[in-house]
Amino acid sequence: MNRLLTPIRFSLSRMKAQGASAPTVAFVVFIASYVYINPNLLTPFQLQTSANLIAPLALAALAQLIVVISGGIDISIGATMSLVNVTFALAMVENSAGISLAMGLGIGALVGVVNGLLIAYGRLPAIAVTLSMFFIVGALTRELMDRPGGGVSLEFSQLVSGELVPFVPSAIVWLALIATGLWFVMHRTVLGRSIFAAGSSPDGLEATGISYRRTILFTYVLSGLIAAMAAIVLAGTTLTGDPRAGDAYLLNSIAAVALAGVSFAGGKGSILGTILAAATLALISSLLFFAGINSNWSFVISALIVIAVVSLPALAKNFATWREGRK
Amino acid sequence: MTTNPTGSVAATKVAATEPIVQIKDLRKNYGGVIAVSSATLEIYPGEVIALSGENGAGKSTVGKILAGSVEPSSGEILLAGQPYQAKSVLDARKQGIAIAFQELSLVPGWTVAENLVLSDMPSFKGFAHSPAQRQAREMLESVGLTHIDPSAPVATLSLSDRQQVEIARALLSEPRVLILDEASSALLPSGVQWLFEQIGQLTKKGCAVVYVSHRLPELKVIADRCVVMRDGQTVGEFQRGKWQDNELISLMAGRSVEQSYPEKQPVSSDAEIVLDVKNLRSTGLNGFDLSVRAGEIVGIGGLAGQGQAEALRALYGAVPAKAESWMVSGRKVKKLAPTSAVKLGMSFVPEDRKRDGLALQFGVGENLLFPWVRWGGLGGKPFVRASGAPLSEVVAKLSVKSAGFGQPAGALSGGNQQKLVFGRWLNRARTVILLHDPTRGVDVRAKQELHQAIVELAQSGVGVVWLSTEVEELVHMCHRVAVMYEGKVTKILAAQELDSESVVTASIGIIKE
Repeated sequence: MNRLLTPIRFSLSRMKAQGASAPTVAFVVFIASYVYINPNLLTPFQLQTSANLIAPLALAALAQLIVVISGGIDISIGATMSLVNVTFALAMVENSAGISLAMGLGIGALVGVVNGLLIAYGRLPAIAVTLSMFFIVGALTRELMDRPGGGVSLEFSQLVSGELVPFVPSAIVWLALIATGLWFVMHRTVLGRSIFAAGSSPDGLEATGISYRRTILFTYVLSGLIAAMAAIVLAGTTLTGDPRAGDAYLLNSIAAVALAGVSFAGGKGSILGTILAAATLALISSLLFFAGINSNWSFVISALIVIAVVSLPALAKNFATWREGRK
Repeated sequence: MTTNPTGSVAATKVAATEPIVQIKDLRKNYGGVIAVSSATLEIYPGEVIALSGENGAGKSTVGKILAGSVEPSSGEILLAGQPYQAKSVLDARKQGIAIAFQELSLVPGWTVAENLVLSDMPSFKGFAHSPAQRQAREMLESVGLTHIDPSAPVATLSLSDRQQVEIARALLSEPRVLILDEASSALLPSGVQWLFEQIGQLTKKGCAVVYVSHRLPELKVIADRCVVMRDGQTVGEFQRGKWQDNELISLMAGRSVEQSYPEKQPVSSDAEIVLDVKNLRSTGLNGFDLSVRAGEIVGIGGLAGQGQAEALRALYGAVPAKAESWMVSGRKVKKLAPTSAVKLGMSFVPEDRKRDGLALQFGVGENLLFPWVRWGGLGGKPFVRASGAPLSEVVAKLSVKSAGFGQPAGALSGGNQQKLVFGRWLNRARTVILLHDPTRGVDVRAKQELHQAIVELAQSGVGVVWLSTEVEELVHMCHRVAVMYEGKVTKILAAQELDSESVVTASIGIIKE
């Protein structure tokens, strides 16, 4: 019994240490109020629409998350998504899904390689490098396609954004698969542990004998791959390519990571917390719609939610100190 | 001391065996700054060689070059007769040279197990916590560290446990040469004992140990040979049992220096009480009592982690605390925050000067003025210029070596940085000063200068509360020593009963009861 409990206790304490509790609480409260205001969420159609809103943002947030864990930030994430989205949609007009997929992922990884090389081996600040890449990649994208176009096959779209079995949207299944894979990489491989360590203590990582620079390079490649997956899922839900498709995801990915309580100093961050945070942010607009509130307010509501949730751990700590003081 | 003691030593050892490491004319410069100008050294299998010198003498750099974390600018190193070069710490470890750094080189976000196990694994290999923790437990047991939990994140360990894990990691790679870079600086006495046992076992197997340290009494016990460095050069060496501390210090300093403490000045029994606190409670403090008179130096001692650090922080108002009665400079206090503490005449020298004490990018002048800035007042250069003469006085009094008030504090040596943190309270009408280990990691000369300045500060009527991890310092510098255990003062030693043995006994004895 004890042998079973110890690892569970260990995982729970790690989950808490990674800061997943506050976004989990926020998500549960949010979904409860959502279902209260709009019970129709639990119909197949609305579940599917919601899933299609959530999955691309959650993936973009995960791509941002691992960069933040390594101690950096990625401003080029939205631009990368647009480029992959456009390439994928263009490629799919003439090629099979497999080839288009490979091209999309390859481009995501390529942007990651350039980012990673400049940051890790060129020793340049992440914010300057990824900001420059944001401009360059953006220009390339508009060169490829200046207005929405291309096309995604219906089968592919069905596979990505349809319904796997009743009440289970495919997009959520894909998200779960990718997130589980990422969790495995981050928590069960040396590379993943090194990414955490790179954000926690670069000197410490070097002292164990693992290369800090190579770790940073792989972080950006991995992040580029996940951003590409986000863009491909997005293409599957919109059926076309759009040179502006990824734009909104830059700030929202950062917002989701912040809402998940992740420290921008690096070294910490929860995958589950980030997904739940992304889901909350993705559904705010539609909640306001059902509640009959002008959608202009959705940003303000998002902002208030972020601030409220981020201050939860600090409030909890103050409360604990206060109770300690009363003893 | 005028004679240079180099030379005679190597001969006796060479007869027995060939050197495992030979270093010739090693040199390292960072741009124009020379860290090591010319180091020449031979290391023999099975010996413990101490590398000693003041801060900035280059001893750590030599160790780091050997361990592959710093690249030499020029010079030759032979390992077992073959030219040696290490691209990284891992590379050096594979070639048989391992290093334990000062406490900061573990990854704080990793568990102990991860820190021990992950290093030699390829990037894409899978990793699971429970087997790693089992493996780490066995590793720790094999070097006699059963009290450390392999599943604990390193950030939650005490400094001395962290240091032991760091050393264990180096030991476990079964090196031919082990470098210990100030490895004992954060260890408790029991930890030092453990370290010496481990060194004994290693040398029996023929491993050479390079022991980089400030702590002269330890060198006497552990070192077969002691090589002294000064200004980036190896300037001489002594053999076991053939040196006096004063000789060693003089060679380090390049001038004749006596290791001594300034004389204690008597405190009159009717001197005003400047700090009095009863039953102080806070995190880690369970009823702390202390009373300090003007001009008195009261030491805080005990085993590490018994609430000493918490006590200082609570007294300064840096953490929330409550007391039954609390008096500072004759004024009753209910609760305290650092700003009100400073207004009442308190001053604080924190433990981590780089993190809590200084703004490293700011100049020497501004760092000396931090507690004295006013909202809406001048700042930066004009403020420093306006406060000119008193600042120069402080700098001269503490002999701070800097290129002027504008030089960033981060560019100074550790000793000079500490002088800034301390110096900002000088000549400022203070009534109490709280010192958190102000001489830790500071070289012998700077330490003596600080000792002198603290005694003079006390003489001017300031009450001093001095947390020190060095028992000798407590005994020689303090009028009274409060020994702490589990967040309380359990024993106060004064006058005749104050000697090193009684302090250590009081620290440990309590546990036995």
